[in-house]
Amino acid sequence: MSKAPGRAAAMPAALRAGAARRVDTRALVAGSAVALALVAAGPFVLPDFMVNNLIRAFLYAAVALTVDVLWGYTGVLTFGQSAFFGIGVYAVGLIFTHAGFNFEYAALAFAAAVIGAVIVALLVGWLAFYHGASPLYASVVTLVLPIVVTQLLYSGGTFTGSSSGLSGFESFQIELDAWFRIAGAFLVAVTAATWLFVRSDAGRVLVAIRENEPRCEYLGLDVSRIKTWLLAASAVVASIAGYAFASVQMVVAPEYAGFVFGTELVIWVALGGRGTLIGPVVGTLLIDVSTAYLSGNMPFMWKLVIGVTFVLVILAAPEGIGPLAARLLRGGRREGPGAEVPEVRPVADAAPAAGAEGAGAALEVSGVRKRFGSLLVLDGIDFVARRGELLSLVGPNGAGKTTLLRCIADGGERSAGDIVVNGRSIERRPPHECVGLGVGRKFQNANIFDALTVAETIRIAHARVDRPSLWSRSATLDLPQAVLRVLQTTGLDQQLGTRVRHLSHGQKQALELAMVLSLEPSVLLLDEPTAGLTKPERTLIGQILVDLAHTHDLCIVLVEHDLDFVREISSRVIVLHQGRIVLDGTVAEVVDSETVRTIYSGARR
Amino acid sequence: MTAPALELDSVSSGYGLAVVVRDVALDIRPGEIFALLGKNGMGKTTLLKTVMGFLPIRSGAIRMSGEDITAEPPHRIARRAIAYTPQEQALFQDLSVEENLALAVRDEARRRDGLRRLGEVFPFIPQRLKQRAGTLSGGEQKMLLIARALMSAPRLVLVDEITEGLQPSVIQKLAAVLKAERERAGTAMLLVEQHVAFVLEVADRYAVLKLGEIVDRGAVADAGAEPRITAQLSV
Repeated sequence: MSKAPGRAAAMPAALRAGAARRVDTRALVAGSAVALALVAAGPFVLPDFMVNNLIRAFLYAAVALTVDVLWGYTGVLTFGQSAFFGIGVYAVGLIFTHAGFNFEYAALAFAAAVIGAVIVALLVGWLAFYHGASPLYASVVTLVLPIVVTQLLYSGGTFTGSSSGLSGFESFQIELDAWFRIAGAFLVAVTAATWLFVRSDAGRVLVAIRENEPRCEYLGLDVSRIKTWLLAASAVVASIAGYAFASVQMVVAPEYAGFVFGTELVIWVALGGRGTLIGPVVGTLLIDVSTAYLSGNMPFMWKLVIGVTFVLVILAAPEGIGPLAARLLRGGRREGPGAEVPEVRPVADAAPAAGAEGAGAALEVSGVRKRFGSLLVLDGIDFVARRGELLSLVGPNGAGKTTLLRCIADGGERSAGDIVVNGRSIERRPPHECVGLGVGRKFQNANIFDALTVAETIRIAHARVDRPSLWSRSATLDLPQAVLRVLQTTGLDQQLGTRVRHLSHGQKQALELAMVLSLEPSVLLLDEPTAGLTKPERTLIGQILVDLAHTHDLCIVLVEHDLDFVREISSRVIVLHQGRIVLDGTVAEVVDSETVRTIYSGARR
Repeated sequence: MTAPALELDSVSSGYGLAVVVRDVALDIRPGEIFALLGKNGMGKTTLLKTVMGFLPIRSGAIRMSGEDITAEPPHRIARRAIAYTPQEQALFQDLSVEENLALAVRDEARRRDGLRRLGEVFPFIPQRLKQRAGTLSGGEQKMLLIARALMSAPRLVLVDEITEGLQPSVIQKLAAVLKAERERAGTAMLLVEQHVAFVLEVADRYAVLKLGEIVDRGAVADAGAEPRITAQLSV
């Protein structure tokens, strides 16, 4: 294969990345230390009622943080985090009231809070995040959750205390000042851990899900599972906060699990600045403390004051207080300093994809039909494509080419027929499982993850092969040779730190191709892989594809309109017309045939 | 002498801190087809967006038929009979083919007339007026966008990569349609293109953009134009 691309730029890039990470780590350590010092000193200087208010605010802020991760980073708007807080609250209330308080029961209540929250979260995740569920549907489920929990509490009679809740139970013999430090330290720890997580390579996956969830599926990521586990983790944090809250207050009431509280959390996050972590934390603390203050000093006016303030904040800073403050600190610039660039390392090419021995058939399509309502788009498609074959799919616009690729990449798409990849039927598997069978699909329209950089995008595409770290950012990016060659051919290797939204149309197309190759597929489906590229760039990409087919035994199916390009690279051509295969043969047989001239390429050439 | 349909007077623009287009000067006469070429990432789309008012201009001036439109917002510019066809799909996916056309061309007689003229090149459009635009294939959506732009009888059409994703026979017919529209209505056209053969067939003049600056320009009919363009695009 080609020479190893040890670019001169790689070293400084790695150094830059390392430096950026050190600055990040230093900021985290310094920030946490200052926050902990403040928490330790707080009780010495603050009046008692303020200490009490802040304990509550610390715990609320931890829950607001989970809302920010779900909504701000992952795009799941949730009103249900209060329910998990409520599970923690009632684990304490019920066990301490009915069983009494001692060390064992305290531990039991803690276990009940955490396990109960996880079980409910997994159930909600299963209901809300199944393949194909809309974001609105998920939000509705999270809204229903606290309503159901509250109803259960209301109907629990004396056991749950119904609408008046439970009080008067014994709890930990801990001073208020100590609780202040415990709750404060808990908030600092949760914030620091979350901060590390969202900045890690895995955290970038969350942003990718927010930006374009279906695309993530086609990169082999099981989005439903990721979201469900994320919800479970957030539920644990919320229920621990609830556990602490009930232990301090020694009062539990259904309001703490209700959807009003759940909605307030969303408002706090929006005002603080979604997707910033620190914004929602500071926002929650400010709002909760000022609410307590105002409701004491002006018992009739305070709600009006708070409401007007909210409106003013939204008008002045639609993104919330956090981003506004950050922009002021940066001197007016909207975006932060250029993202760090990892060092690119070529990796040895994997052995040709494993599959059924000797069969040679990578893709078998038989009797595939696809209907959109009354419209029959594919009408009985049969063909077999072998490893090492570069098969071009040509045909008039609207012949069903893209639909056929979609049917191969998503088991849920076709209306009838069977598709076998590497000897295994794709059955009704969702896209991420088809990726697992070896299918990689490049889309016609490049719509990727606008907010991420080129390097982050490729890392996510490679996440199926190379699991991203949950807490750190890798300084290197290991890439298969083919991916590297696509990046170099199109100049993207010089723009690894550029955000995707700033790329040109042609560069986005090339990035799409690089992403699909990062999946290391054995059956590669390419929808117009060279659209928007110039002739010389096309030729180079064409060579890369031919190499992949020959040296890696890949089966490549591509849709292409440029017949010169088709002629240069394909080993076989299938012509699709009105949902049927009308020709299937070698380049020479097909491209110059009378049929193709009539239905497709036109008279003169 | 009539004023140019579109005139750019040393225009610069870009995103954030980055200047993507530098000191570009162009003039397109009424009824002229002008092609803007260049490798990708050289600022072609940015230039179109600047003309349409989607990006703020840094310096310079933009005039349409002699009137200054430099500081106008996009909807005002669109009302001056400019039709813009972006690269990204810009159809209303949930509306039918007919509804999509009706939004751009309110006058029914004109729409019927447009359907008759353009239906010859894009026969699927009159045949499938009731179909939801979102269910058309990628290439069909592109054709509908072009038909919509031409039907609105604009003075100036801006098209980003008109040939991308279209089958060869349609591209050939498209060249004839663009020329016919120009003859019939005197429409000026600014085409951003990668497809050199198409440009050579349809355009009157061309300019090549490189790193945001015009590095070559001339008449397509000139003997040296083809090799010069090909060379510019391969470096």
